[in-house]
Amino acid sequence: MTARRDTIGIAGAGPFGLALGSLLAGAGRRVVLWSRDTAVVEAIQADRRSPRLPGVALPALLEATSDPRRLAGEARFVVLAVTSTRVRERARELGDVIDGSHIVVHAIGALAAPSNDRVSQVMEQGLPTLKLGALAGPALPDDLVEGNSSSMVIASVFDEVVAEGRRLLNTPPVLRVYGSHDLVGVELASALSGAFTVVLGLSDALGVSPGTRAVLITRALAEASRLGAAAGADPRTFAGLSGLGNLLVRASERSADYQLGRRLAEGAAAAASPTEGARAALAGVELARRLGVRVPVLQGIAAVLTGRLDPRQAANLIGDTVAEAE
Amino acid sequence: MGSDRPVREAENRLERFNEDRERLLAEVERRVLAHRIAVARAGGDASLEYVLNDVAYCEIRRLEASGAGDAAIQRWRDLSRRLLTMAEPDKEEELRSLVRHYGRDVVGNFDPRVYRFATGIAPALLGFVFSPVGSLREGMAAIGSLDARILADGELDLVRGCAERGTLIVTPTHSSNMDSPAIGLALLRAGLPPTTYGAGKNLFTNPFISFFMRNLGAYRVDRRLKFELYKDVLKEYSTVLLEHGYHSLFFPGGTRCRSNIIEKNLKLGLLGTSVTAYRNSVRQGAPHKRLYIVPVTINYRLVLEAETLIDDYLAETGKSRYIITDDEFSRIGRIVEFFRKILVHEGSVVVRFGRPLDPFGNDITDDGESIDRAGRIVDPASFVRGADGEVTDDDQRDAQYTRALGRRLAAAYPRLTVFHATHLVARAVHDLITAAAGTRDIYRLIRLPAPQLAVERVVEQLARLRARIAANPAWGAEHPRIAAQPAGAVVDDAVRGLSSYHTRPIVSRREQTLHVDDVKLLYYYQNRTAHIPGPGPGPGSDAAAEAEAP
Repeated sequence: MTARRDTIGIAGAGPFGLALGSLLAGAGRRVVLWSRDTAVVEAIQADRRSPRLPGVALPALLEATSDPRRLAGEARFVVLAVTSTRVRERARELGDVIDGSHIVVHAIGALAAPSNDRVSQVMEQGLPTLKLGALAGPALPDDLVEGNSSSMVIASVFDEVVAEGRRLLNTPPVLRVYGSHDLVGVELASALSGAFTVVLGLSDALGVSPGTRAVLITRALAEASRLGAAAGADPRTFAGLSGLGNLLVRASERSADYQLGRRLAEGAAAAASPTEGARAALAGVELARRLGVRVPVLQGIAAVLTGRLDPRQAANLIGDTVAEAE
Repeated sequence: MGSDRPVREAENRLERFNEDRERLLAEVERRVLAHRIAVARAGGDASLEYVLNDVAYCEIRRLEASGAGDAAIQRWRDLSRRLLTMAEPDKEEELRSLVRHYGRDVVGNFDPRVYRFATGIAPALLGFVFSPVGSLREGMAAIGSLDARILADGELDLVRGCAERGTLIVTPTHSSNMDSPAIGLALLRAGLPPTTYGAGKNLFTNPFISFFMRNLGAYRVDRRLKFELYKDVLKEYSTVLLEHGYHSLFFPGGTRCRSNIIEKNLKLGLLGTSVTAYRNSVRQGAPHKRLYIVPVTINYRLVLEAETLIDDYLAETGKSRYIITDDEFSRIGRIVEFFRKILVHEGSVVVRFGRPLDPFGNDITDDGESIDRAGRIVDPASFVRGADGEVTDDDQRDAQYTRALGRRLAAAYPRLTVFHATHLVARAVHDLITAAAGTRDIYRLIRLPAPQLAVERVVEQLARLRARIAANPAWGAEHPRIAAQPAGAVVDDAVRGLSSYHTRPIVSRREQTLHVDDVKLLYYYQNRTAHIPGPGPGPGSDAAAEAEAP
C-alpha cells in the first residue's frame, strides 16, 4: 500500500478532479477521491467510469469514496476541486475530519460565492489547518486526460505546501507544476481572468478587429496587475499561468463566461444566471473602489452586467477611458 | 482530551530558577553549537568562518561607535585575523566560548527574597514615598490605595486556568519603561505567577532598578548586538525557558510604541520561540505542555515618556532612534513626579488581559483546548507533525505560523483597549481642530496658532465619540471609572490630567474656552483612538450614523 505521504486526496468528482485524479493514478500515484454523491462513487468503483468525464477509463489506483474520513486518513495532501458555490460547505465537511498537519490546496479559479472572498480566505474559516494553497492555470480536463502538455502553478505562503504540491502533482510531460509564494496574486489573477473572459466573449461577438482585441487583453492585464499590487500581490503574477494563461485558454465556446459575453453582445440580459466571471467582475470593481485603483475594463463590463450600459457603448467607453488615462 | 492532562497547581515556577540556571545555560550552549555546526557544513554564509567574522565585525563597529578603547577592540581584530588560518576544531572552540559568553550576558536571576520584598514591602514603601504627603493621614491613605492605582481586569479566570495547565506567554502592548513594573504588579494583583522577561540592556544601567530587574527574573537583551549568533543565543534561551515551563513576557511591538497608536506591525523574533518550544515539547513526547499566548493592553492615563516618544516619532523619517537612553525614565526626578502626580489617581493604569491563543494563533476553549475558526477542537500538536505523525522541523513553516499568531494578536489589541478620559477628550478636541483646519497632517497642525475651542463643543463632540465607542465593542471600551460619568465631567477629568504632569499643560481651561497649548502631545494621546475611523462620512462614522437616523 502506498504511504500516506505519497497519496493524493481529491475532494470533488467534477471534470477537473476526475481528470487530475486519472492523470495522477495513470502515472502510478495513489489517489483517493471523495465525493458526496454515492452514485458517482459507485460508478467509479464498479465500472471505472464517470458520466462527468465521459469516455475515460479511470485507472485502478484511483479509489473513490463517499467517506471523508477515508480521504483524510489515507492522504495528507488534499486538492479541493469543487465549484465556487459549494466551497464553503465542502470546506466545513472536510474540516470535520482533517487536522493541523494536512495540506489543502484548492483548484477553484473563481471567488467563493456568495461572499466573493478569495477561496483561501473561506478555507481559513472552515479548515483547522493553516497550510493552504491554490492550484491554478490553463490545464483543462481534456488536456489532462488526452495527454496534452499543460502547466499549472501552485501558490502558498508555506514552502512545504509548494514543495509537496510539486512533488505529488508534477507529471511531465503532461502536467508541469510551477511554484509561487503569491497566493493572493494567483487567486485574484485566476478569478479576474474569468471576468476578462466575459469581456473577450462580448468583444468577439461584436466582431472587434484583432488589433483592438490585443489592446483589450493587454489593458486587462495591466489593470489586473495594478489591482493585484494594491491588494498585496506581485503584479508579475498576472502575466503568468493563472492570469494570462487562464484568460487565453478560457476564451473559447467551452467557457460559460465566454458564452455569457457573447449573449450580452446579442442583447441578452445578464442577471439571470451570473457566471463566476461575472461575479468576479463585480467583485473586482468593488475591490478597486476600496483600494483606489482605476479599472476601466472591469468597470465597463460591470456596467453591461448591471444593465447600465449597452455593450457597444461599453466597448467605446472602455477604449476612450483606457486611452485617456494611459 | 482535556481532563486526563496533568494540571499542576499555579505556582511561582521562578522559585526554582536559580537551581535550573546552569542546566538551562548548558542546554542553550549545546543546542546553538549543534545547530551552527550542522548548518556550517553547507558552507558559504553558514560557514563558521562567516559566523565568527560576523560577530567580530559587528563588535568592532559597535565598540568603535561607542568610543571604547583600543584594547577592547583589539580582541575582535585578532579574532578576525586568526580566522584566516584557523582549523575547524579551533573555530568550533571559539564558537563555544562566544556562545557561553553571550549566554551568561543574557541569563537572568530570580531571588525569592527580593521578590517577596518587591511585592510585599516595596509597594507599601513606594506608596508612602511617592504619595503626596500633605499629611501623615493622606500618606497612610495613599498606601491603602496603592492597590487601586493599577487595575488588572479582563479574562483573569481563564488566564489563571492556563497558568495551571501550561505555560503563559504574556504579550502586552508597549508604551513605557513603566510597563514592566506595571505588568509585574498587575500579574500579582490578578493572582497570576510572575514571569521571566527580556529587558533592554539599557534599562540595567540604573543600579537600583537593575538590582530589582536582575533578581526578578529579567534577562538582558542587548539590542546593539546585531549579529546572528547573538540572536541564536537569545532565541534559544527563550525557547529553553518556555520548554521548562517558565512563564514569559514579550513585548511583541519590540520597542516602546512611539506614536501611541495601538501596535499593528509586531516583531516576531521572540514570539516565534513559542512555536519552536512547543515543537520541541511534542518531539520530546510532551504535547500536553501547552503554551498560551495572552494578549494584554497596558493603558495609562498619562505616559511617563510621552514627550520624548512623540518627538522621536515626528522626527524626520530615518532620524528616529531605535534605542532611547536619555528620556524621562533616566531622570529620577521625572519618575518621582510621575508617581506623585499620576499614579496616585485611582486606576490610572489599567492592564487588561484578553483570551489566550495557542502558538498557531488558534483560540482556546475555557478548558484551554485549541479550537479552529469554525469552533472545532483541534490538536495543536498536529500543526508540527508530518504525514506519518512524526514531528517535522521546518523553520519557514513555523515563521508563517508565527506571522498568523502575530496577526491574531494585533487584531485582539483594539478590543482590549481601555480609553481614559485623556484619550477620549484628546480625540474629540483633535477632531474639532482638524475639521476646522481642513487637514489631518500633524506637521501642519503643529504650525497653526494655538487653537481655542468652546468647552460646549468639546462636550458635544465627546458625547458623539462615546456613543460610537459604546456601539462598537471591537474598538475598545471606556475606563470603568468614567463609563457612568456625564461628558462634562469626563472633560473636566481629562483637562486635570492633561494639564498636570507634562512639562507644560497640553490643554487648559479658561472660563468656557479650552486652549490647546501642545498640539503634539494632544496628537499623541488621541492616537490611542487612531484605530477608530474618523467622524466624517464612512461606515461607523458620525455622519453615517446621522444619515441612518429617521
